[in-house]
Amino acid sequence: MRSEAEVERLLRELAPRVLGTLARQHDRFDACEDAVQEALLAAATRWPTEGVPEHPHAWLIGVARRRLIDEVRSERARRRREETVARLHASDPSSVPGPDEDRPAEHDDTLTLLFLCCHPVLTPASQLALALRAVGGLTTAQIAHAFLVPEATMAQRISRAKQTIRASGISFEMPPEAQRADRMRVVLHVLYLVFNEGYTATSGPHLQRTELADEAIRMTYLVHGLIPSDGEVAGLLALMLLTNARRAARTALDGSLVLLADQDRGLWDRAAIDEGLALISRTLARGPLGPYQLQAAIAAVHAEAPRAEETDWREIVALYELLERIAPSPVFTVNHAVAVAMVRGPAAGLELLASTDADDRLARHHYLEAVRARLLEMAGDAAAARHAYRLAARRATSLPERRYLESKAARLSTPTPALGGRQAAANPTRDTWPDR
Amino acid sequence: MKYLLMIYDNPDTRELFFSDEGRSLMAEMDALMNELRLSGELVSTEALADPPNTKTVRVQNGVPVVTDGPLAEAKEHFGGYLVVDCESIERATEIAVRWPSARYCPLEVRPIMDTGGADG
Repeated sequence: MRSEAEVERLLRELAPRVLGTLARQHDRFDACEDAVQEALLAAATRWPTEGVPEHPHAWLIGVARRRLIDEVRSERARRRREETVARLHASDPSSVPGPDEDRPAEHDDTLTLLFLCCHPVLTPASQLALALRAVGGLTTAQIAHAFLVPEATMAQRISRAKQTIRASGISFEMPPEAQRADRMRVVLHVLYLVFNEGYTATSGPHLQRTELADEAIRMTYLVHGLIPSDGEVAGLLALMLLTNARRAARTALDGSLVLLADQDRGLWDRAAIDEGLALISRTLARGPLGPYQLQAAIAAVHAEAPRAEETDWREIVALYELLERIAPSPVFTVNHAVAVAMVRGPAAGLELLASTDADDRLARHHYLEAVRARLLEMAGDAAAARHAYRLAARRATSLPERRYLESKAARLSTPTPALGGRQAAANPTRDTWPDR
Repeated sequence: MKYLLMIYDNPDTRELFFSDEGRSLMAEMDALMNELRLSGELVSTEALADPPNTKTVRVQNGVPVVTDGPLAEAKEHFGGYLVVDCESIERATEIAVRWPSARYCPLEVRPIMDTGGADG
């Protein structure tokens, strides 16, 4: 007899393989996905009490296929009523799964499934939700909890995504070789977003959301296992492992945010760091380089420093220079500016930061202002730093980040009024914000 | 990312939307809400009763003071809201632009605070 938790783990491993097998054979992704969900539900109720069948994969395929056939039959009946010609590729209703169907599905199936869930016709929100359900094997309720939206909202998002796939006539096959690289970028981005959603969540009341980080790591392991030669998949996995290793150190007991430089490195997960370090060094040695590998390499430099003061910032500057060359992004420039400030002093960092001022993508974003504040503080300009921290705090749309920025501003406070000039004039009512 | 769309009303728009004349506007509103439900973007939405039904609550020196009516007499008042979960504030703004009452009275679109945060 297995516990419910063990059964759930097993089912989540089997889910993408069962769906992959079915979708390859029937090419009706939306109907297959519904059928597999029903089979998983049946297994989740029955296996903990009745025991896990000898061939769990075949059992699930069998149940899912029967549901699929029921669905196809009722659809046929409806179509007959409508006097339309129905030509459906239903498999033989009497077929039972053979023992060979218990072997793991073709590896490509899971990958094809992930490519399908991350198809560019879908919005990123739909890609995330569908991947978590079809590949991660999570229920709609679990995904809804994790993203803090009602279950009905998430159910609709998933069903809309499946309709879109159906309406677009997308078939269950690997993207053509010429599109493979672009499509892979989308898949990796979706996995990265799932990870980030979980990692940035604070612990406590939102525990279910933090599990998304583990789920993203699990799915990335899966993809890495399928295509170990892909450097960017390995790079993303290493980045996730090295970042997630900091999880216990990133929040204080009161739930407030602890930034990398101030974290108690004794709380970092050494095993995860060792694994991430080994993975990224193996991968970098093999080439070619990509943005996830470089971000992982930067995370590795941080992970290798026993104390924040011992961080090899020169190495980080070099890595950001490379990163900006192959994947220019204003966010990387802002991070690069911090590293430059650590090596050549705050003035050099501020100068680099100023180059992003004209970038619309960062305009009014709190992160740019938060980094400016940090560099101004380094430069000893307390008044300007305080002003920038306050400005960043007001732009923040995250509670922990806002609290952190406000506390930095408060620590730099002098008895004179904190605000003056342009911002205060533009928002006179907000002068009293911290006291409200 | 979640956004709150704050729908403002004034006595005239309130009257218009609840009159026979306002039926097509209401239908338009329902259609848009349905569209947002189907796209998986609508988190929740409510309309508020008219301002005279308001109680204003203060606690002064530990003593609750409850008065009838809204905080302040204003030309425009808060009339209802939508919470949407969508890609960007641009998308949320686009939804607000299509909300029928925007032709008569403004809406405000504001991000809802995230409870998570980055550490580096």
